[in-house]
Amino acid sequence: MYRIRFHGRGGQGIKTASRILGTTLFMEGFEVQDGPRYGAERRGAPMFAYVRASMEPIQERGIIRLPDLVIVTDDSLIPIPAAGVLTGVAERTVLLINSDEEPGLWRERLALAGPILTLPAAAHAPHINTQLTSVLSTGAAANLIGVISRRTLEEAIRKELAPLGAGAVEVNLENGLKAFDLTVVLKGSVREGGKTQAASYDPPDWIDLPFEEAAISAPAIHATATSERVKTGVWRTMRPVIDYSLCNRCWWICSTFCADGVIRVDEEGYPRIDYEHCKGCMICVAQCPRHAISAIPEHGEDTGERQE
Amino acid sequence: MNEPKFRYMKDLPSARLLGSGTAMCAGCGGLQALHGIYDILGEKTVFINAAGCMTLLSVYPFTPFRGSWLYTSMASAPAGAQGVRDGLDILLEKKRISTEEDLEVVVLTGDGAAYGMGLSSTSGAIERDLDFLYICYDNEGYGNTGQQFSGATPHGARTATSKGPRGFTGFKKDLFSIWAAHRPAYVATIAGAEPLDLANKIEKARNLKGPRLLIAIAPCPTGWDYRPEDSVDIGKLAVRTGIWPLKEYIDGKVVHTKIPHPRLPVEEYLKRQGRFAHLFTPAPDTALIAEIQARVDGYWKGVV
Ligand SMILES: Cc1ncc(C[n+]2csc(CCOP(=O)(O)OP(=O)(O)O)c2C)c(N)n1
Ligand code: SF4
Ligand SMILES: [Mg+2]
Repeated sequence: MYRIRFHGRGGQGIKTASRILGTTLFMEGFEVQDGPRYGAERRGAPMFAYVRASMEPIQERGIIRLPDLVIVTDDSLIPIPAAGVLTGVAERTVLLINSDEEPGLWRERLALAGPILTLPAAAHAPHINTQLTSVLSTGAAANLIGVISRRTLEEAIRKELAPLGAGAVEVNLENGLKAFDLTVVLKGSVREGGKTQAASYDPPDWIDLPFEEAAISAPAIHATATSERVKTGVWRTMRPVIDYSLCNRCWWICSTFCADGVIRVDEEGYPRIDYEHCKGCMICVAQCPRHAISAIPEHGEDTGERQE
Repeated sequence: MNEPKFRYMKDLPSARLLGSGTAMCAGCGGLQALHGIYDILGEKTVFINAAGCMTLLSVYPFTPFRGSWLYTSMASAPAGAQGVRDGLDILLEKKRISTEEDLEVVVLTGDGAAYGMGLSSTSGAIERDLDFLYICYDNEGYGNTGQQFSGATPHGARTATSKGPRGFTGFKKDLFSIWAAHRPAYVATIAGAEPLDLANKIEKARNLKGPRLLIAIAPCPTGWDYRPEDSVDIGKLAVRTGIWPLKEYIDGKVVHTKIPHPRLPVEEYLKRQGRFAHLFTPAPDTALIAEIQARVDGYWKGVV
């Protein structure tokens, strides 16, 4: 059985990518499962989708824990533990990353022994067109799996994207097939994983809790603004940075217009961005009358604190 | 007329009372407006929220609010508010809470609830002269479920359920007038992109009693299809093109609080949003654009 996991951000078209890949496998005669996973989070938040394909009936359910192929459409997700990109990645797992950094660098960084491939074309897709990264990875994945013909890929893209109109179909076809052709030499590098059984899974680190009354198991919360415990900074792909030499201290502009209320004023009247929660909408960049705020890309491990 | 409390942007509160870390989209115009509203209403509030995007604000155990929050079905937030208000009144009467501990009851719903499913229960609440605030964040569609059209969707907009060449063929309901026809204490339209006007209206509403209802335009990058950074610009353009009139109803009269002059052509607003892209490509639909412009012009002819 093939077990494939896509990791990306809400809005990048991951759900569609897994759907298209699932359709190609179905058209090639496989039994297929495909499904997206996301919570209440929205555009920009980490999410994943997965595909299982087998010539035999699929009895497995739920999240894929031992993937044969992991596709990452946004490399800034890799260092985020909550995104779970590396869950179950073993020596035989192929990791396909949309990144303009070398596979060797990723191997070193992640200390992984298995095959790592990068798709720089996708990383260079224009920012607004992030959806294209998903079709690029679908195209590449189709060839890596090795059992999907170019023609099937073409048909599946047409079929799944038809509701978006002819223009969208053409752009996606062009990019999906381009990625397919680029990966020709790697055809078939992903191999089917064997049968798994519940017993073969490592048991998770369960903590057994006794059944408690509602008052204990679901206590009333009286604390205020607890949402601040949720670090929505991980949604960000671009980071707004204030150049304090240009800042006019008219905080009431950027701070009032900030949709998430994460720009506070310090004692000297300078706006300070809370990067733990800033989602990277860039309204502040658009509104600052002095153009003192600019957007810089978030990079791999460089997600720590940086201001000034 | 009284002097407005906030004269300049720098008079606005800088507290940012509403917690961050919510599940709203990056660049959500509704959330931006809610920040401004909450900074003025303050923490002595209880929110009654009908199903919609903002339901995801408070997902146990997380909440951005500093007070209580009650979730209701889409149609019945004003009925929920009645129950909460009655409960508070009973506690006050029995002296179980002091007037200091009393709370402002605030209904928070999307347009799907306000213009459609919840209209009947709002009408009933106004009829009973319920002492509450109603805040509708109007993203002009069922945002939470993928932007299907609602009673607030504007003519010509593409939605998940109006994908034809002319977009949504119906017309946006005039909820302001529907509400005002009930003769409540206060009705106003607001925009997060016009924070000063917003703050003064919330301050005014806060100091009145009875039903007070506000509709905030809520530019929605996800549903309206534009880049999140454009949210505030799009809100400002809605006002400057005259598409979103800023006004209030008080003491039986409607007053426009910001008359755009000169009014920008509606294209300036429409062309920035993917939901109107079919009006411009492959060829401009000049007839439909002119129709939208004529409707806006007709509105303002009656005002000035
Ligand atoms: C009676 C009922 N029908 C349908 C739904 C499903 N539903 C949940 S949120 C939502 C959209 C609400 O739209 P709106 O009030 O405009 O709020 P928005 O999602 O745009 O914030 C719908 C249809 C529901 N919760 N209840
Ligand atoms: S769908 Fe629109 S209204 Fe809903 S959270 Fe996202 S931006 Fe806000
Ligand atoms: Mg809505």
